[in-house]
Amino acid sequence: MSKQAPGVRIDGLTVTYNNLPAVRNVSLELPPGTITGIVGESGSGKSTLALSLLNAVQPPGRIAAGSVEIDEIGNVVEFAAEQIRRVRGSQIGYVFQAAQNSLNPLKTVGKQLLDLGRSHGVEDLRGLVRDAKDLLGRMGLDGARVLDSHQHELSGGMRQRVGIMLALVLNAHLVVLDEPTTALDMITQSTILKIIREVHEERGLTTLVITHDIGVVAEVADRLAVMYGGRLVEQGPTREVLASPQHPYTRGLIRAIPRLTGDIDEAQALPGRPPTLATVPAEGCVFRERCPLRMDVCDTVDPAAEAYGTRIVACHAVKVKEHA
Amino acid sequence: MITGTGIVKTFKQRGNVLDKREVRALRGVDFSIPKGGAASFIGESGCGKTTLGRIIAGLETHDEGEIVIDDVAMSSLKPKARQPYFRRIQMIHQDPYSALNPTRTIFQTLQAPLRLRARQTGRDGKWIDERASEVLSLVGLDPGSVLGRYPHQLSGGMRQRVVIARALTVDPEMLVADEAVSMIDVSLRLGILALLKDLRERLGVAVLFITHDVATARYIGDDGDLYVIYRGQVIEHGKVDTVISDPVHPYTQSLLSAIPVLHGLEQPGTQPVVPLSGLDESLSDGGCLFARRCPFHTERCTSELPALGRSEGVPQEHACFYPERRDVVARPMSGV
Ligand SMILES: Nc1ncnc2c1ncn2[C@@H]1O[C@H](COP(=O)(O)OP(=O)(O)OP(=O)(O)O)[C@@H](O)[C@H]1O
Ligand SMILES: Nc1ncnc2c1ncn2[C@@H]1O[C@H](COP(=O)(O)OP(=O)(O)OP(=O)(O)O)[C@@H](O)[C@H]1O
Ligand code: SF4
Ligand SMILES: [Mg+2]
Ligand SMILES: [Mg+2]
Repeated sequence: MSKQAPGVRIDGLTVTYNNLPAVRNVSLELPPGTITGIVGESGSGKSTLALSLLNAVQPPGRIAAGSVEIDEIGNVVEFAAEQIRRVRGSQIGYVFQAAQNSLNPLKTVGKQLLDLGRSHGVEDLRGLVRDAKDLLGRMGLDGARVLDSHQHELSGGMRQRVGIMLALVLNAHLVVLDEPTTALDMITQSTILKIIREVHEERGLTTLVITHDIGVVAEVADRLAVMYGGRLVEQGPTREVLASPQHPYTRGLIRAIPRLTGDIDEAQALPGRPPTLATVPAEGCVFRERCPLRMDVCDTVDPAAEAYGTRIVACHAVKVKEHA
Repeated sequence: MITGTGIVKTFKQRGNVLDKREVRALRGVDFSIPKGGAASFIGESGCGKTTLGRIIAGLETHDEGEIVIDDVAMSSLKPKARQPYFRRIQMIHQDPYSALNPTRTIFQTLQAPLRLRARQTGRDGKWIDERASEVLSLVGLDPGSVLGRYPHQLSGGMRQRVVIARALTVDPEMLVADEAVSMIDVSLRLGILALLKDLRERLGVAVLFITHDVATARYIGDDGDLYVIYRGQVIEHGKVDTVISDPVHPYTQSLLSAIPVLHGLEQPGTQPVVPLSGLDESLSDGGCLFARRCPFHTERCTSELPALGRSEGVPQEHACFYPERRDVVARPMSGV
C-alpha cells in the first residue's frame, strides 16, 4: 500500500434521493497534497457529495451517474461494500457531519480505538494508542483521560476532536472532514483549524473540508468550491475566489458575510431563498430566481462549468462577459 | 430600561452527592439596556451568556443581585406580580425548527398569544386577524402567503421571522435573541439582523443579542453596547465598535484573533493573541480568571482580582491590570 497523497477526480457526478438530484453533474478535482474546501448553504448537497467519496450515500439516495476516481484505490462508485470497508479508515479518513454524536455510547473511546485498529489488522495496538494520545494532546486534550472516557463524559467540542483523531490515526492519506468545527467556539475552532493544516502538511495528505462557513475555508483551504442547489457553481484558488468572485451567487454570498470591520452597509443579505430538493428547477440555471444578472437563456439552459484561467465557473453571464 | 446589578448564579451539579460540584455561571454581572437600545453578550461556550439571558427574561432565578425593569426592582415584587414585566421580555431561541409547533399553521401559532392579549384588552376576533397579519408584515413576510402554511413549508429564515412575529404579539419591551441567527443560512442571516435593527428603530423594542459570532453584533446597531463575558464575569464592556476595533483585554483580543480571516479580502491583524492553553475551569486563587491562559500575566494577576472599571485613555470598561491596545482584528484589504 503506497503512502502518498492521492489525487481525486470526481467526474459528472449525479446523486439522487427518490430520483430528485441533490448533486447534479458535478466535476471536481482534488490535486494531491492540497486542501480543498466546499462551501454552500444548508441542503446544497455538500455532505451528499462528500459521502460519494466513500460510496456511502444512504438509501433512498443513490449515485445515478458519474465516477469518483481515487489514485491507488480506483473508481469507488463501482466498489462493493466490503471493498469500501477496507479502504475506509486506512486509506480514506472520514469525519462525518455531527461526528460529536457518532461515537458508541456504550464503549470508552479507547475501546473504540482498539476495535478500529483490529478491524483494519493493525498489529502494533500500543503504537496506535500512542498515536491517538499524541493527536489528542495536540488538539489540547488530555489523551489518557479522553481514551478512558465514555461519550457522555465529553463535551461536544471534545467529541468532535475525538472524531478527527479517529479519522487520522490509521494514517489515511485522503481525509474528508464534514463540518469539523460547527459545534465549537471561535478559540477552539481556530486551534483545530491550525492542527488540521499542520497534520495535513506533516503527513502529506489530500484533504477535503466541507463547511457552510466561508471563514473556515478561507483559513485552511488552498482551493475553494462553491455549491448551490446541487451544482458546483464556482471553483478556484481560495484567495482568488474570495478577492474576485465571478459567479453571482459567490459574489452575493461573500457580500452577505457579517464583517468585523469596515462599512456596515457594505454587507447585504441575498434576496430570495435557497432551493430545496423539491424546488430546484429541472432546467435552466439553479440560481436564476435570485440572480441579478439573469438572462433569457438562464431559464432554459443549465450553464456548463467552464474554465477561465485558474477558475471554473458555471454561469451564462460570466461566459458572455469573458467572451466579449 | 432594564438594568441588572451584581447578578450571581451558581448551579449545583446534579448527580454525585459526595463530590458536589458547583458551577459559578455568573459572578456578579452588571448591565443596563435602555429603552429601544441594544446590547450584545459575547464569549466562549459555557461563559454564562444564555443563563444571563434567561434570568433577564424571567425564565431562570438568580442567587444574588437585582433586576430593575422600568424603575421597579423585581425583588420587591411577589413572583406573580413580576409576570407582567417579564412577559414583555421575549426570548427568541437559536433553533427556529423546534421553536414552532409543526402541527399548527402560522396563523394558529400567532392566534394563541393574540387571543390572550385580546381577552386582556377587551378586543374581538377581527382584531386578532388583523394583528396576525400586521406582525407578519412587520417581520417582512407576506401574510397572504404565509398565514395558512405549516412551519415545514417555510425556509429557516422565514421560520425565524415567524418566531420573531410571535414574540411581537405581546408588544414586547425587549427581545432576547439567543444565537438567533446561528442556524440561519449565511445568505439570509443579515436579513434577520437588519430586521432586529429595524424593529428597534420603528417600534422602540430593545434587543439583547447573545452570540458567539462577534461580527453579527455590529449589525443590530452601532449604538449598542458589547459585553464580553469570561467564566461568568464581564471583562470588557463598551460601545460595540470601540470594543471590536480597539479591544484592550487580552481575552477579548484572543476571541477576536480567533475569528477566521477572509484571506484575499482581509488582512489579518499584526499582533494576534493566542491563549496559552484551552479553557480552564479550575479555580484561580483569587486572581484574574484568565491569568492561567493569558500570555501577558504577571504575578499580580495570579493573586489579585482585577475589577471591571475604567483607566486613563481607554473609553471602555475593562477588567485587566495591563490594558493595552493590540492590532488583532482583520481589516479589509485596500483596493478590494
Ligand atoms: N436521506 C435523505 N432522504 C431524502 N433527502 C435527503 C436525504 N439526505 C439528504 N437529502 C436532501 O438532499 C439535499 C442535500 O443534502 P445534504 O445533506 O447533502 O446537504 P448539505 O449541503 O450537506 O446540507 P447541511 O449544510 O445542512 O449539512 C437536501 O435537500 C436534503 O434535504
Ligand atoms: N440547568 C443547569 N444546571 C447545571 N449547570 C448549568 C445549567 N445551565 C447552565 N449550566 C452551566 O452554567 C455555565 C453557563 O452556561 P450557559 O448555558 O449560560 O453558557 P453559554 O455562554 O450560553 O454557552 P453556549 O455558548 O455553549 O451556549 C456552564 O458551565 C453550564 O454547564
Ligand atoms: S447563469 Fe444566469 S441566472 Fe445563473 S447565475 Fe449566471 S446569470 Fe445568473
Ligand atoms: Mg451536510
Ligand atoms: Mg448559550
